[in-house]
Amino acid sequence: MSGAAHPFTSDLTIDELLLLEDVGFEPIELVLGASYFHIGYQSSVWSQNQELVDMSTMMLLARQTAMAEIQTQAHALGADGVVGMRIEIELEGHHAEFSAVGTAVRRRAGDGEKYRQHQGQPFTCDLSGADFWALVRGGFRPVSLVHGVCVYHVAHQGLHGWFKSVGQNQEMQSFTQALYDARELAVGRVQQEAAAFGATGGVVGMEVREGNYGWHSHVIEFVAMGTAVSPIADAAHELHAEARVVLSARD
Amino acid sequence: MTQGTPGRPQTQRQALPQHAVERIQRSRNAQGQRFFTSDLSVKEFLLVRESGFECAGLVMGSSFYHVGYQKSDWSQSQEMTVLTQAMYQARELAMARMEEEANELGADGVIGVRLHVNRHSWGEDMIEFLAVGTAVYARDGSSWRAPSGMPFTSDLSGQDFWMLLKSGYRPISLVMGNCVYHVAHQSLRGWFKSVGQNQEMPNFTQALYDARELAMERLQYEAQLDGASGVVGTQINESTHSWDAHVIEFFAIGTSVAPIAMKEAPPAPVLVMTVNE
Repeated sequence: MSGAAHPFTSDLTIDELLLLEDVGFEPIELVLGASYFHIGYQSSVWSQNQELVDMSTMMLLARQTAMAEIQTQAHALGADGVVGMRIEIELEGHHAEFSAVGTAVRRRAGDGEKYRQHQGQPFTCDLSGADFWALVRGGFRPVSLVHGVCVYHVAHQGLHGWFKSVGQNQEMQSFTQALYDARELAVGRVQQEAAAFGATGGVVGMEVREGNYGWHSHVIEFVAMGTAVSPIADAAHELHAEARVVLSARD
Repeated sequence: MTQGTPGRPQTQRQALPQHAVERIQRSRNAQGQRFFTSDLSVKEFLLVRESGFECAGLVMGSSFYHVGYQKSDWSQSQEMTVLTQAMYQARELAMARMEEEANELGADGVIGVRLHVNRHSWGEDMIEFLAVGTAVYARDGSSWRAPSGMPFTSDLSGQDFWMLLKSGYRPISLVMGNCVYHVAHQSLRGWFKSVGQNQEMPNFTQALYDARELAMERLQYEAQLDGASGVVGTQINESTHSWDAHVIEFFAIGTSVAPIAMKEAPPAPVLVMTVNE
């Protein structure tokens, strides 16, 4: 209710703002977080499929640090959560900059406690205003943006293997295995992180991305990212709007 | 699988990698409660619930395939059956592994399946086929599996899935058909005849027409084997996959559907005017 005395800043569009207000939230301030890391190389065996555990840990830690900074700022502002969070990575050689940006929001009625994470920290999510509205109307609340990271070294094929496959149409099982494994590890870790945050619903809007950042060509980073959600336990949210078939008057 | 007619081959049940098995086991906690991960958007997630389904988890399958070379006659339009089969087999393997993950999760089906074709700088002539989707199960415990006993598969979005059920149909499986075709080069004489002229090039028309028809016919055949009454959302894509420019793959994919008993009439559409641009 300090709206008049202290104008808010946000990168929300007007309809996002309206939808946020419709579910009882108001924006406070645009919050930014950044982390700088030096990502060293980890040596790997030329002919082996293996995870580069140290690099996985670093790439995850860098993201978590940027997110933690945002949460600290939002907490200081008295926010109940952060919506529309985006994480961007700039990697030059071994120097990595991870920046995160989002809009801190709070419950107007002051009953934001039940929307916060279990340690009283504000929730984080990458949902737009419209998605946030739909989620809350559907009886769920975001808990945290969760990540799973796996940096993997894909084995080189020996000359012998190459001779065997040239001119043939066949599955390359060791490559299949490597990429399959790496993705499974990344997705599995999202699940674990969500559980660690105490989310009981699930993870929505997950995306699995691949990145190489100019590392050695056989080293690939798989990142799975999504928003962990929990059901809201109160009667008002049990009644959700029924979906309807709509013909848009646009185009 | 006989030459040239890649009907639905009975792909063997696929063994899953160890980390996939571990991940699937962890999707239920000690109390047996499920915890899902999914790439569905919030709206899709809510509509899936609205349709009486729950998300079981993200499922995926991958196949890294070495697609070699097939010799073709420079002046002849013909199907390259070896390549057709390789491209089909690779996709089928990725799909079968994804289905197996859904089966392990105890799901009734998979929605929002996307087939990606990836290349990596270190794998010349190698293509990775990746199938990703979200496994779902019916909340009331009824079985929605395909007639084969495996979970149904479909490339429908959460919105489309909701609409499909509302209009009295259910998805059965993702059906596909492909055809790799070599389009003949034109002879010098032919080139002289056509230069500066506006006319149809019947041999090119014929070749591309043929290839698309073959891909569609195979898709249709798969749908018939599934006992489906039709196929929705069919797309035909063409790509040369960095082969010779005259070698083209036509790939058709869609979701086969069958009617279900309707409890209520499909909802009438409502006209809305959107205020956001």
